[in-house]
Amino acid sequence: MSITAFPIWFIDVVGSVLMIFFSFISVAYCLRLKKRDPTNIIINYLLWVCVALAVFAISRSAGHLLKQILFMTEHREWWMTIKPFSGAVNTFTFIVVASVTLFFERTWAIYGTILKDRQALQTAHEKLIYLNQNLEQLVEQRTEALAISEQKYRRIFEVSKDMILVTRTDGRIVNINPAGKQLVGLHAINDAVTERRCFQDYLSHSEDWAAITQHIENRGFISSEEFDIRLGDGAKRRVLLSGSLAKSPSEDGETIHFLIKDIEQRRQMQKQMAHADKLASIGELSSGIAHEINNPLGIILGYTQLLLRNEDPQSDRFNDLKTIEKHVRSCKAIVEDLLNFARTSSPHKERLDVHAVISDVIHFVRHHSDLKAIQIETAFTPAPPRVLMDEKKIKQVLINLLMNAIHAVEGSGTIKITTAFNPADSRISIEVADTGHGIAKENLNRIFDPFFTTKPTGEGTGLGLSVSYGIIKGHGGSITVKSDPGQGAAFTIRLPVPPPL
Amino acid sequence: MQPTSHSSHWLATIAIVIICVFWPLDSLATQGHAGIEGVWVHQFAHLFFLFSMGLLIFWLRQAGLVKEPGWRYIQYAAVFFILWNADAFLVHYLDEQRFAVTVTYTAPWQMRIDTTNGRHWLATVYYLAKLDHLLCVPAMACLMLGLRHMLGGDRPAQPDGRSG
Repeated sequence: MSITAFPIWFIDVVGSVLMIFFSFISVAYCLRLKKRDPTNIIINYLLWVCVALAVFAISRSAGHLLKQILFMTEHREWWMTIKPFSGAVNTFTFIVVASVTLFFERTWAIYGTILKDRQALQTAHEKLIYLNQNLEQLVEQRTEALAISEQKYRRIFEVSKDMILVTRTDGRIVNINPAGKQLVGLHAINDAVTERRCFQDYLSHSEDWAAITQHIENRGFISSEEFDIRLGDGAKRRVLLSGSLAKSPSEDGETIHFLIKDIEQRRQMQKQMAHADKLASIGELSSGIAHEINNPLGIILGYTQLLLRNEDPQSDRFNDLKTIEKHVRSCKAIVEDLLNFARTSSPHKERLDVHAVISDVIHFVRHHSDLKAIQIETAFTPAPPRVLMDEKKIKQVLINLLMNAIHAVEGSGTIKITTAFNPADSRISIEVADTGHGIAKENLNRIFDPFFTTKPTGEGTGLGLSVSYGIIKGHGGSITVKSDPGQGAAFTIRLPVPPPL
Repeated sequence: MQPTSHSSHWLATIAIVIICVFWPLDSLATQGHAGIEGVWVHQFAHLFFLFSMGLLIFWLRQAGLVKEPGWRYIQYAAVFFILWNADAFLVHYLDEQRFAVTVTYTAPWQMRIDTTNGRHWLATVYYLAKLDHLLCVPAMACLMLGLRHMLGGDRPAQPDGRSG
C-alpha cells in the first residue's frame, strides 16, 4: 500500500511538541502542589509519575523530532545510533511509572495508618496538656461531684422508710439505716454494738436465714420473699425481703445488700378485706334463705293463731298449738336477725346525740340484768357532734355488746364505755371494753360470722355480733375487736359524722 | 544412628569437591543480550505500564476519588494511557517482532507499506496505529487538567477517602 506520510509526520511532530509541553506543565503543577502540602504522599506519587512522563516525553518526542530532522537531512545512520538509547530510556520511564503506581496503593494504606496514629497521638497530647493545666480544677470538680453523689445516696439510705441493710455473707450486720434500726429496735444502740449483731437474730424463724442464704447462693439474689421479723418488743412483723450479693470495693469480701419492706399493715388490711368479703357473702346467702323461710313461717304462725281462737285454753290441743306458735316466733326472730345482718331493711336515720343513746342503753341494761358486782364506767368525749343513725338499731348493737361484756366478766368486773371524736376522718368511736376472759386468738376472725358462738348450746344463737356487724356496716361505719386471752376484750364502733347542717 | 548419618554427609561432600576440581566444564554465569531481548523488554514495559494504569483506575474508583473533577481527569488520563500502550504494543509487535510489515519511503512525503502473506488490511491497521500521538497527547492533557483542578480548588485526597 502506497500512502502519503504527511499525517504521520505532522501528528508525530505536533504531538511530540505537545507531549513535552503538557508533561512540563504537569511537573510544574505538581511542584506547586508539593510546595503547598509537602507531607502529602499522593503529591509525591503524582510528582514521580509526572517527572517520569516528562523524561519519557523528552526521550521519545525529542527523539522523534530528531529522527524526522535526521531523515530529512539523509543522516539515517545517526538515528540508528541514537534509537536504542531513546528506546531504553522510554522503557525505563514506563517501568518507573508502573512501579510507583503498583506500590502506591500499599504506601497509601501505610500512610493512612501513620496519619491516624499521628492524629491519635496529637489528640492524646492535647488531652494530656489539658489535664496538666486543669488537673487541680478537675480533681476539685470530681471531688465535688463525688460528694454530691455520696450525699444523694446517703440521703436515700437515711430517709428511706424501708429497712436497708448490708450484711456479710455470714449475717453479721455491716450497715443498717435508721428505718431498719427502728424496725428491729436497734435505734438506741450505737453503731459499734450494731455491727456485732447478726441479721438472723432478728428473723422470727431460725431456719429462714438458711433459706435466704441458700437462695442467694444459688441465684445471686432473692426477690420479694415474705418473712417474719422479730421486733424489739418481741412481737412479729411480716416483711417483704429482697437482697443481692455484691462485691463492695470498700469492704473485705462479699456482702449482701437487703431491702426490707414492712408489709404487716397491708397484710392486716388484706385480711380485713377478705373477712369483710366473707361476711358479705354469708350475708347474701343468709338473706336469700331468710326471705324464703320467712313467708312459710308467717303462714304457719297465722294458721296456728286461727286455730288457737277456736280452742279451749285448758285443752291439750291449745297447749300444743301454743308450743308451735312459740317456736315459730323464735324462728321468725332468727330470720329477722339474719335479715338485719344482711342489711336488707334500710335504717331510718336521724341526727342523734351518741351519749344520750348510750345512756339509754346503760339504763335499760341496768334494769334488766343482774349487775351487782359489775361496774359500768363511761368516759365520754366532751361535746361530740350529732351522728346520723337509726336509734333502734344502734341501741340493739350497744345492747348486744354490753350483754356480751356482761357475759364475759362472769359476774364481776368492769365494763368501760369510751367515746372519742377524730376530726381528721370525721368519725366518732364508741369503745366497749371489759375485763373478762377475753377472746381466744383463733376465734378473733370468726366472731362476726353468723351462728358462731362460744356459749353453750341453747344460750345463744350466734347472731348477735353478726347482726351488729350488719347494722354498723349499714351505717357506713366499722366494728373491730381487740383482745388478748385473759386480758378482756374491746369492741370499737366507728361511725361517720355528717357535716353540720 | 547419628554417627552413620554424619559419615554419609561427609562422604557426599568430599565426592562433590573432587568432581568439581578434577572434571571442570565451561562457565555459564553471564548471558549475552545481543538478540531481540531489548524489544521484549520494551514490550513487557508497555504491558506493565498498561497494567499499572488499570490498577490506578481500580484504586481511584474504589477510594471514591473519581467523584472529584481533578481525579476524574486523572482517571481519563489512565484510560488514554492504556489505549496508547495497547497501540504501541501492536505497532512494535508488527514492526519488530513479527516483521509483518515493511515500510519504504518512496518520495519525501510518500511511503509504501508492504505486508506479508498478502494481508492488505494489516497495512491500514499499521498506518492508523502509527498515529499513536492521538492517544498519548490526550492522556498527558488529561493529566495536566487534573493537576490544574487540584491546584485550583480540589485538594489532594487524604488516606481516609477525604479530598480535603
